[in-house]
Amino acid sequence: MLRTIFEDLNVSKFLTQRIAYGLLLMVGVVILNFFLIRLAPGDPALVIAGEMGGATEEVLTSIREEYGLDKPILIQLGLYLGNLATGDLGFSFFFNQPVASLIADRIGPTILLVLTAQFLSVAIGVFLGVIAARNPRGVISGFVSVFAAIGYAVPVFWTGIMLIILFAAVFPIFPVEGMSSVKLRDASIFIRTLDIMHHLVLPAFTLAIIYLAQYARLCRASMLEVLASDYVRTAHAKGLTERKVLFKHALRNAALPILTVAGLQFGNLISGALLVETVFNWPGMGRLAFDSILRRDYPTILGVLFFASAMVVVANILTDLSYRWADPRLRGKS
Amino acid sequence: MNSTSSPGREAWRMFRRNVPAMAGLFVLIGVIGATLYGQLVYAGNPFEIVWAPHELPGATAEFPFGTDYLGRDLVAGLLKGGAPTLAVGAAAALLTMVIGITIGALAGFYGGWADTLLMRVTEFFQVLPALLFAMVLVTLFSPSLITIAIAIGVVSWPQTARLTRAEFLKIRELEYVRAARSIGASNSRIIWTVILPNAAPPLIVSATLTVGVAILFEAGLSFLGLGDPNVMSWGLMIGANREYILDAWWPVAFPGIAIFLTVLAVSLIGDGLNDAFNPKLRGR
Amino acid sequence: MSTPILSVKNLTVNFGGFTAVDDLSFNLYPGQKLAIVGESGSGKSVSALTIMQLVTLGTRAEIAEGEILFTKSDGSVIDLLKTSEADMRKIRGNDIAMIFQEPLTSLNPVFTTGDQVVEAVQLHQGLDRDAAQARALEMFERVRIPRPEKVLNDFPHQLSGGMRQRVMIAMALSCDPRVLIADEPTTALDVTIQAQILGLMRELQKDTGSAVMMITHDMGVVAEFADDIVVMRNSKLVEQGSVLDIFSKPQARYTQALLAAVPQLGSMTGEDNPRRFDLIEVPEDRK
Repeated sequence: MLRTIFEDLNVSKFLTQRIAYGLLLMVGVVILNFFLIRLAPGDPALVIAGEMGGATEEVLTSIREEYGLDKPILIQLGLYLGNLATGDLGFSFFFNQPVASLIADRIGPTILLVLTAQFLSVAIGVFLGVIAARNPRGVISGFVSVFAAIGYAVPVFWTGIMLIILFAAVFPIFPVEGMSSVKLRDASIFIRTLDIMHHLVLPAFTLAIIYLAQYARLCRASMLEVLASDYVRTAHAKGLTERKVLFKHALRNAALPILTVAGLQFGNLISGALLVETVFNWPGMGRLAFDSILRRDYPTILGVLFFASAMVVVANILTDLSYRWADPRLRGKS
Repeated sequence: MNSTSSPGREAWRMFRRNVPAMAGLFVLIGVIGATLYGQLVYAGNPFEIVWAPHELPGATAEFPFGTDYLGRDLVAGLLKGGAPTLAVGAAAALLTMVIGITIGALAGFYGGWADTLLMRVTEFFQVLPALLFAMVLVTLFSPSLITIAIAIGVVSWPQTARLTRAEFLKIRELEYVRAARSIGASNSRIIWTVILPNAAPPLIVSATLTVGVAILFEAGLSFLGLGDPNVMSWGLMIGANREYILDAWWPVAFPGIAIFLTVLAVSLIGDGLNDAFNPKLRGR
Repeated sequence: MSTPILSVKNLTVNFGGFTAVDDLSFNLYPGQKLAIVGESGSGKSVSALTIMQLVTLGTRAEIAEGEILFTKSDGSVIDLLKTSEADMRKIRGNDIAMIFQEPLTSLNPVFTTGDQVVEAVQLHQGLDRDAAQARALEMFERVRIPRPEKVLNDFPHQLSGGMRQRVMIAMALSCDPRVLIADEPTTALDVTIQAQILGLMRELQKDTGSAVMMITHDMGVVAEFADDIVVMRNSKLVEQGSVLDIFSKPQARYTQALLAAVPQLGSMTGEDNPRRFDLIEVPEDRK
């Protein structure tokens, strides 16, 4: 598979273009961040220090100096970009730590949560969608439609809380808080990995449920369209089993719109993770954003916004790449 | 288009026969009615402590849905708490549509560098995780119903812009647009009075679904404590009571059900409109 | 002649309230080239899909009555209407293969042409991948695909309509089927390509000796390809016989009208495009 991607000479050119464009978007995010601080009412130095940080006059002076707040605005922007380029995202006066290290500690759990939820929702959603498409008027098809409508309408944080009630009070089989158990701190890596997976179950499912239903519905519609196509009839005429026709010939084509939507949903998934992390006390960037927003800790908030946007940019590039692999008609175009 | 039968009336005839969509319409009317006129029947201040905390629903006739962790009446909260959610949902959806349609229409109609520029801006906004960006905006500009509505509108418009652009690209090549051009109609006249009305059906469906998304957004922000602190809302009720869920499920469950029913109603209406405008796609 | 390889007896196919095929009977003998002729909606394609048992896909309301007797290679005779789906799968693509009308959409766009042929070969002949690949290459050479090694690794969208139909033919013949059903194989192609594909099919038929059931609305194709002919209209059989007999002495008025509609050789000289056939208005033949 990988070989076919790289055999295609245009991929490297395409990839270069996409990465360059992604970097441009990120510069855009930084400039936006910069202006957001200036647009906020009040003294920018105070905003940077954090309104609740109780910053002293000395701290404010050092901030004015570092960010060049007495200089023209374009020079300020240049300083800001320069600081970022060296990996300096600023300093959180609330956490008393550089923002970069705050985020470095928390980006892993967020990626783990988001990718697990993405995997669960796509895998289960596609499976349900294929089964539903086999019999568009059947029970599973009806279930998928109803479930999709419900999944769309339920607030994700509320689902999380209801699951906590269910699993904390009624079936205490999954942990409802945090990412690891304190008592297993000194256990082997294997045990600790299992422990994290155990903690991951509820947050990941909470986040997956909304999107799962949407993928199931989309996959059903897409499969119904593909199943009516001539090449599916050809596949049957070859004597292939129904499973092979459905999961090989039909699904490979029906998956294309799902891939597009999965890519577009990534930003929403991160938004959802923000709420889910807050509900389950998951130690990720969402939880960090929530804490820093309550404290008006702007450098941290903007750092989180920067990294969350970067994750979306990376996800978009990966989506485009996989789309080119999945649809041979797009290969060779740039 | 056929002038003898009104497409709007035809769509309404289809919609009326769609049971889930009509159920959604009735639920939504019920929710709006309860929010607007509920206090006439059931007066009560949702912030006022009136009873012992965590009274079970049904245990006291006076407080049929029980009380929250402070002993506040949940029925009063539910009746009052819909107003900000619905108002912000509607205002944010309106703003989303105005920004999205304007940008999408200009990009789709003029094409060329205008299209490239506007679509790059759209892509830029799609990179920002919407809820996080809305949180930042609300925090920077102090939470009030207006800033929340604006924040939701500012983060939600890209999808509408893409949809509008696609419709405009399709319609601008059609004969009646060329005809309008040939009789010398101005560009703005063609955009707003010739193309836009013909792009209306998908945009109406999209507007409906946008209301649902905006309601969920408002609920999420209020839940995080970023709503207007002086206004009771369903999201705030869930956020305020969530620390005590293991003692009492009902102060969290009821407002969640209220949000769920409202958004479900809106999305059923949206699906119904979609079916009514595209009878051929039924069952998909 | 010997025993028929395929014998359709009193076949009736109903979709809901609509009768798509009404009391159709005909025989197909080994090595025979039979044309089923009729306008669209006459039931000819439904008959073909019913033989393959592919008509139920998507529509469950259909009921077929009658018999479709198929003589297997070991000489035993089975009724395809009563054959289980699992046994049908062993027959499809192996004993009875099919070519469809639309080469542009009949190949799966996300797999290479080679993979799609290899898949059929591996399924029915139990070859390993290399042997199947070799077989696919051999088939591509036989259907005269230029640079067959390259085309094996091409995706369908990289090929012209005529090339894709050659791939379809290669795929259909890859397992040496004893019956080949071709449903309007040339209709979607340009006139010059039509002649090439028809010539190719005639040649391959001579080599392999398979029985071919050619479904068409075009009497020109019939004249060029078939030995025998079955004429259908409004789901019913109109008449059948050898091409020679029917063309010289058409019994039914419908057949006469169909033949009269065929342009005479040379009548199109100086015209760029094939002329459209006029709609044929004929009263129902009385039996």
